[in-house]
Amino acid sequence: MTETEQLQAFEARIARGEKIEPGDWMPDAYRQQLIRMISQHAHSEIIGMLPEGVWLQRAPTLRRKLVLLAKVQDEGGHGQYLYHAAETLGVTRAEMIDALLAGRAKYSSVFNYPTLTWADIGMIGWLVDGAAIQNQTMLAHCSYGPYARAMVRICAEETFHKKQGMEQIIRYTRGTPRQKQMAQDALNRWWWPSLMMFGPHDATSPNSAQLIRWGIKTKTNDELRQDFVNKMVSDFHAVGLTIPDPDLYYDASSGNWISGEINWDEFWRVVKGDGPCNAERLQARREAQENGAWVREALAAYAAARGEG
Amino acid sequence: MNDSQWARYEVFEQERAGAPHRNAGSVHASDAEMALGNARDVFVRRPNCFSLWVVPEAAVFAKTAQEVARDDWYAAPAADAPRETYLVFSKKGQPARETFVEYVGEVQAATPAHALRVALETFPPQDVFVWWVAPERRVLKSEQADAASMFAPARAKKYRMHTFYPVEPIMRELKSAQGMLDNSEKTTDND
Ligand SMILES: [Fe+2]
Ligand SMILES: [Fe+2]
Ligand SMILES: [Fe+2]
Repeated sequence: MTETEQLQAFEARIARGEKIEPGDWMPDAYRQQLIRMISQHAHSEIIGMLPEGVWLQRAPTLRRKLVLLAKVQDEGGHGQYLYHAAETLGVTRAEMIDALLAGRAKYSSVFNYPTLTWADIGMIGWLVDGAAIQNQTMLAHCSYGPYARAMVRICAEETFHKKQGMEQIIRYTRGTPRQKQMAQDALNRWWWPSLMMFGPHDATSPNSAQLIRWGIKTKTNDELRQDFVNKMVSDFHAVGLTIPDPDLYYDASSGNWISGEINWDEFWRVVKGDGPCNAERLQARREAQENGAWVREALAAYAAARGEG
Repeated sequence: MNDSQWARYEVFEQERAGAPHRNAGSVHASDAEMALGNARDVFVRRPNCFSLWVVPEAAVFAKTAQEVARDDWYAAPAADAPRETYLVFSKKGQPARETFVEYVGEVQAATPAHALRVALETFPPQDVFVWWVAPERRVLKSEQADAASMFAPARAKKYRMHTFYPVEPIMRELKSAQGMLDNSEKTTDND
């Protein structure tokens, strides 16, 4: 088969809804797009442990501490599932981690914002994990088998993350005026960064059309963001919180909540490395890598001594 | 910076006694024993694991249906070459339905390619999209004696399950009290 015939056969498989598996023929651009997306997603899970991790020692009760610990462990596991999915495409985990530590790799910009109060932990679960679920439910139908299978696993666990966050925020909204204010402040700070999680508008998202044609995504950034806004606005209104967007309105003809414009200058600034916590996040990962070196050396020496290395 | 990577091991988990071992993903480890420990930490945070297997990825002979059809992978072993047990895994089902690579049985063979050829004759190849074979001697299996320490703790951690947080009924209640329910929300029950 010529390259053109192979591409036609590949696109016909995608059109029939078939899963592409490692070893199957795939266009190089498909492989590269997947490596880019999956590794960024993996990094986001790993970096995403940091803003919540700093609250583990300050959780208000033992129950909250157990729940947060479980959630942060899940995110570490999600990072591992995703590095594995990317590895099936021929990239190594070492290459991906090197790129992250060297500051060459991207990850979700939402994790470059600080967690200032305990209410942020509940709000992150509801909003940030809620946005992740919106995106990941779509990706569970992705045309690349290993990525889709990782997503099936992850989505089930993310539902726990979102619901534990909802539980906390619902409690705060029914608590003292001060607790209710903490919940509102947290929403004010996390609303816009979570809308940014869906990425640039479709018109300025160069990869979108091809990702959809190849079944990697089935919805555009703006479609996913709109679904998210509709769901969240009605939920937050129900618990008596105010969305921090003076331009937000309900459009009866489409049934959509239309939000004001995202601050794209801020978005690009944070993506390019100049957010409130970018340097701190990378520094934490570099330190973790360095501080773990002696453990890796000891394990390697042990394996070598047993002749398995 | 390659010092943290080591070999990759494919991980298979069995949800309950009698269910097939199913590929969950992979872990990196310095040896098989550590791979089993890592597999437990990465894949068993929920109460649904009965047994785990790990096998070095380098010992897995994997072919998609597309590759099997190319027929460039098989060379017959010598007639007197010693046979050993290979475990056979496949991913089957409708092409558009998400399924996992699962254990289907074992065959006796002399080489990985030979094991796959025997597997194709032994197990119905219809609707199979991926075949994996691996020599059983390279597979490390968790022992039932270790189940209490490896798998039982996750069963007590109910707070890891989303069903532990009954927030959907609360939201429905709040919305209905405020006349906010649309028809779809009135009839669906997510919990
Ligand atoms: Fe996650
Ligand atoms: Fe995620
Ligand atoms: Fe999460």
